Amino acid sequence: MTIKIKIRRLILFVCLLFSMTPAIAIAGATEPYEVITHPGINEKSLPRSTLRAIFGMRLHTWPDGTGIKVFVMPDEAPLHAVFSKEKLNVFPYQLRAAWDRLVFSGTGQAPETVTSPEEMLAKVAGTPGAIGYLTKSRMDGRVNVLQIK
Amino acid sequence: MYSRSNNPARPHVNWAIRLMVLPALLLGAPAHADKLPELPKLSEIRLPKLPEMPKLPHNLQIHGFASQGWLKSSDNNNVFGPSSSSSGSFDFREIGLNASMRPLTNLQFSVQGLSRTAGNGSPGNIRLDYGFIDYTFSNRENSQLGIRLGRMKNPLGFYNDTRDVPFTRPSILLPQSIYFDRTRKLAIAADGVHLYGEYRSDYGDVSFQAGVVRPLVRGDEAEAAVFGVLLPGHLAPEISYVSRVNYELEGGRVRLGISATQLNMSYSPAPGVTQDLQAGSFHFVPLVFSAQYNAERWSLTSEYAIRYLENKNLAPIKDQSYAGESYYFQGVYRFTPEWEGIVRYDAYFADRDDHNGTIWAATDAGRRTGRPAHSRFAKDITVGLRWNITSQFMLRAEYHHVNGTGWLSALDNHDSSHPPAQHWDLFSILGSYRF
Repeated sequence: MTIKIKIRRLILFVCLLFSMTPAIAIAGATEPYEVITHPGINEKSLPRSTLRAIFGMRLHTWPDGTGIKVFVMPDEAPLHAVFSKEKLNVFPYQLRAAWDRLVFSGTGQAPETVTSPEEMLAKVAGTPGAIGYLTKSRMDGRVNVLQIK
Repeated sequence: MYSRSNNPARPHVNWAIRLMVLPALLLGAPAHADKLPELPKLSEIRLPKLPEMPKLPHNLQIHGFASQGWLKSSDNNNVFGPSSSSSGSFDFREIGLNASMRPLTNLQFSVQGLSRTAGNGSPGNIRLDYGFIDYTFSNRENSQLGIRLGRMKNPLGFYNDTRDVPFTRPSILLPQSIYFDRTRKLAIAADGVHLYGEYRSDYGDVSFQAGVVRPLVRGDEAEAAVFGVLLPGHLAPEISYVSRVNYELEGGRVRLGISATQLNMSYSPAPGVTQDLQAGSFHFVPLVFSAQYNAERWSLTSEYAIRYLENKNLAPIKDQSYAGESYYFQGVYRFTPEWEGIVRYDAYFADRDDHNGTIWAATDAGRRTGRPAHSRFAKDITVGLRWNITSQFMLRAEYHHVNGTGWLSALDNHDSSHPPAQHWDLFSILGSYRF
């Protein structure tokens, strides 16, 4: 490979570095939302570090011994990004990297991804031990709300 | 001057030479080709049921990936096949399939089969990458303790556990100074038992893994990689130790890690063969220090490794002990969730007391190999781009400018009439799919 190609590559990279308008699409104002659980879960509030361990797929049981079942929206969903940052204080790419490390080293499993708010509500309401998040306007009495300390 | 010396009258010297290059080769035992009997079964399961389907029994999850790379390099410096040829090399493929099942909340079974094609060192055999039982005997709100039994990935630095999964790597090629390909086979996984634990608090999470294992060194291929030749005797794995402690602040905003490993092997000579080595042992002790900072748009990562190597009693080879050294600094910038760029400086030194290789090149052993001083180091500047086309499909391109040939594979660069150049370039493209 010649020096020319090398220089061209470098120029291309530098151009990309400085010319692209950073535009990570995080909705600044989203609708109010809550962390929700299956109605059989007695917990009313959790510390942030525990919630992070649950969504990081490293904590597998509720205090009463019920298995935790985690539901999330796709990485690119605005509510997923807001939830990750506000409730867990991590970025979606970090969650994805942590899940990948577990899944591809065999030391854990990935959460289940739902594709719509309706599915999130149905899954959390219908799966014992389930936890997820949902905009308030989509919620009904079939799920519990979890406060984060 | 570059021709290799293979004078049969001086086998002892040759062995000595081979030991000198041992640190570079040590972890590079060619594929420990365990055939994976489970694999056909897994693919039968996979075909009718896609992983996104929620109703798999007992929390069964199936995941996998497939990638194809193309590499084009300058001069005669081949990386993963004939990359310096006019058409480059497509000889870089990674295919993996795994299954995990959690029948109880504190019990998990995991297995992964892997086929990796990467030049002459990795011919694409299907191997059992890992397969183990994981039992968490203590699971509390802020801590857990558990045990794993079977074949586990070795906890080594940030990337060894998932080094063959392109989506988990920061670049097409991992920083070769620490994750050099020639060393992968010994370092990648081992059979045994791991204890693991984690403690979470407002001041961060501390986790550890520690294991007593048997490294994957059995077979002619491992022997050829360690000695450079097949010897009459037998190379065997001995009880070895792996460990890593990680600290994460604010859910991984700051990540720090220390990995310490001791890999032990023994050599038994063949009975009645006078030209053989005496019974002896090898000890390989890599220490890796890791640090990462993750912001919303950028991440900074650095790792430093020191690799101690020792051989004992392998007469006529003299007992010796020395240390190699590696480090890299890496920055990743996420322009958008779809586009990210990477810049890295990566340095490898075969001997920490001889960074430019000149002391080694002046020794009898160094002269005897016919290899130049620049085969004892490599300094690699890398820039690259990653495009997440969808959450399941990714394209990457990257460019390396390298000074030194320290981590080039001897298997892909064996033509002594066209030796690799000291200053060289590498361009690579890779596409990867996951589910």
